[in-house]
Amino acid sequence: MNKTSLHLAIRALLAQKTRTILTILGVSIGIAVVIAIMAAGKGLNKMVMSQLEVYSPNTMTVEVKIPSTKKTSNENAMGQATGITITTLKERDLEDVQKHPNIDAAYGMVMGQAIVKYQNESKTSLLMGEGYNLQEVEKFELASGRLFTKDEEDSLAQVAVLGYTMKDLLFGEDDPVGKTIYIKGKPFRVVGVAVKRGAVFGMDMDKMVVLPTKTMQKRILGIDYMQQIVAKARNRDEIKQTVSELEEIIRENHDITDPNKDDFAVNTMEEAANMLSNVVDGLTFLLVALVCVSLLVGGVGIMNIMYVSVTERTFEIGLRKAIGAKNRDVLWQFLTEAVLLTLFGGFFGIILGAILALIIYLVAVSYNFVWVYAVPFSSIILAVGFSAVIGLIFGIYPAKKAANLNPIEALRKE
Amino acid sequence: MTLIEAKDLCKEYVNEEVKTPVLHDLNFKIEEGEFVAIMGPSGSGKSTLMHILSFLDKISCGKYLFKGKDVSEFNDDQLAQMRSKEVGFIFQAFNLLPRTTVLENVMLPLLYDGVSNNNIRIYKAKQALINVGLDHRLNYFTNQLSGGEKQRVAIARALVNDPSVIFADEPTGNLDSKSGLQVMKILQSLNEEGKTIILVTHERYTAEHAKRILRIKDGVIESDEKVVNRQFAQTSNELIK
Repeated sequence: MNKTSLHLAIRALLAQKTRTILTILGVSIGIAVVIAIMAAGKGLNKMVMSQLEVYSPNTMTVEVKIPSTKKTSNENAMGQATGITITTLKERDLEDVQKHPNIDAAYGMVMGQAIVKYQNESKTSLLMGEGYNLQEVEKFELASGRLFTKDEEDSLAQVAVLGYTMKDLLFGEDDPVGKTIYIKGKPFRVVGVAVKRGAVFGMDMDKMVVLPTKTMQKRILGIDYMQQIVAKARNRDEIKQTVSELEEIIRENHDITDPNKDDFAVNTMEEAANMLSNVVDGLTFLLVALVCVSLLVGGVGIMNIMYVSVTERTFEIGLRKAIGAKNRDVLWQFLTEAVLLTLFGGFFGIILGAILALIIYLVAVSYNFVWVYAVPFSSIILAVGFSAVIGLIFGIYPAKKAANLNPIEALRKE
Repeated sequence: MTLIEAKDLCKEYVNEEVKTPVLHDLNFKIEEGEFVAIMGPSGSGKSTLMHILSFLDKISCGKYLFKGKDVSEFNDDQLAQMRSKEVGFIFQAFNLLPRTTVLENVMLPLLYDGVSNNNIRIYKAKQALINVGLDHRLNYFTNQLSGGEKQRVAIARALVNDPSVIFADEPTGNLDSKSGLQVMKILQSLNEEGKTIILVTHERYTAEHAKRILRIKDGVIESDEKVVNRQFAQTSNELIK
């Protein structure tokens, strides 16, 4: 690209302002989409990883499932959502899990929903029944106060730990520790407030109230089963063996002989991580496909406009050649136009993409997701580099057509 | 010095394997400083001959020597370079770039001739426009000019590179008689200053402004003779300064 072809290209683009702006817009949108998606991918990655941070890689879970479904299948999820309740996971199973030599700590978990009241404030809240030893199994930090004790859990004490937002909603700036809240009309003493945790697997952890599992089972839900056992293994290398041993034990507890009829599933964090990694891989593939499609569309737009331009300016090309333009002068002029279109498109695309990514970030944060606003430099390089290459590739053919025009024939096209 | 020499020059167009001969074994010479009119009816081959002589087209057989150099086998780029350095064009339809100023139109050949300094390009283009009496129209767009003015811009563009020869293809064809006379006067003045002019026309009156007429019919030279009663364009104002 020399000064002459740059000068001529800019003049030609300015001569058709509307068309130039529309073409640039087409490229910009493609690039903006790429940048926004890659930035969103970065945010999603942060969100997913932040959820795994709660658990150590040694974490294992025993979850209930509908027999003869896969542990993560749609039928299982649908079945549970539509009211099939598995009631077989009990205290005895938890005790056996805790007794396993490779298990460091384990607690049972139940979930529910109820209206929580403090004075005149009342809020619907997700209730989590979790063990006194919660902090031995996973990351759970307190902003103030303490977690409930073993004695409190065993004695079905009516104590609660508030999520960070729930504390704000009910108490505002006041310190809730020591105060009494009412859940399903029963008084509960607040003993602690959790730090801000964000959303984990789509659930807003800051809007929930944590109670001792046994208190929640007996005093709130009136049940004797749990939905999940969360455990932490001592030795990560023995996890596979631990899984099959726990399966044997619980199967025996549940009088199951055929593993296909299991009403529970033992999962490891490693499996979950692998699953997430598969999801991320799938997403990455999808992103690459989107990148290609949106940039190709922009490229085709450039090619189209360059073809129109060559056809429209056939006479001009003939004249330029008649007064001394070489084939390569014409080729460069048209290629420069194509590349300028992509570069301007790239420039505005980056700005537009960054704005889009910011909007996505703001929306995600407003939903309490742990998100990050980052426009990866790689996305800028990829988007602009790829589109410049596309511009060149799609620009070459029309430019060659222009360069190889016969000047006499071209001059007849006035 | 001989500027142009055609030796058994011929041209045929091939379209879907059908050959159409247009020029047959032409032999002639044009000396430097001549003013030659190539005359002939429509379809005689005079435009094709002009295209070949001005490096816009290639010959099919024979030889074309320019300043003694055989240019018959020149490739596209070499021909483009010849057009840029040796030839100035004046077309019947003016052929100026639209949406472009008078000055920029005249600067264009300098751009392709590799004159990289913009100030030099502007200076030379202004000089050429002064020579055709259009220095008051430098920043006008070409669509704001009259036909006669457009053709004078085209003449300035043809002159700006100081070419060896100027080809004028029916230069008065789209002009009223007054503007036509002005253009012929400029061409005659340029010739007086030593510039070689080759004029293509089908009008006898226009052709008689030249010093020599090559008559072409059906692709062969019918006659090649000096103009006995030469016409001299008289206009009220002096255009060449």
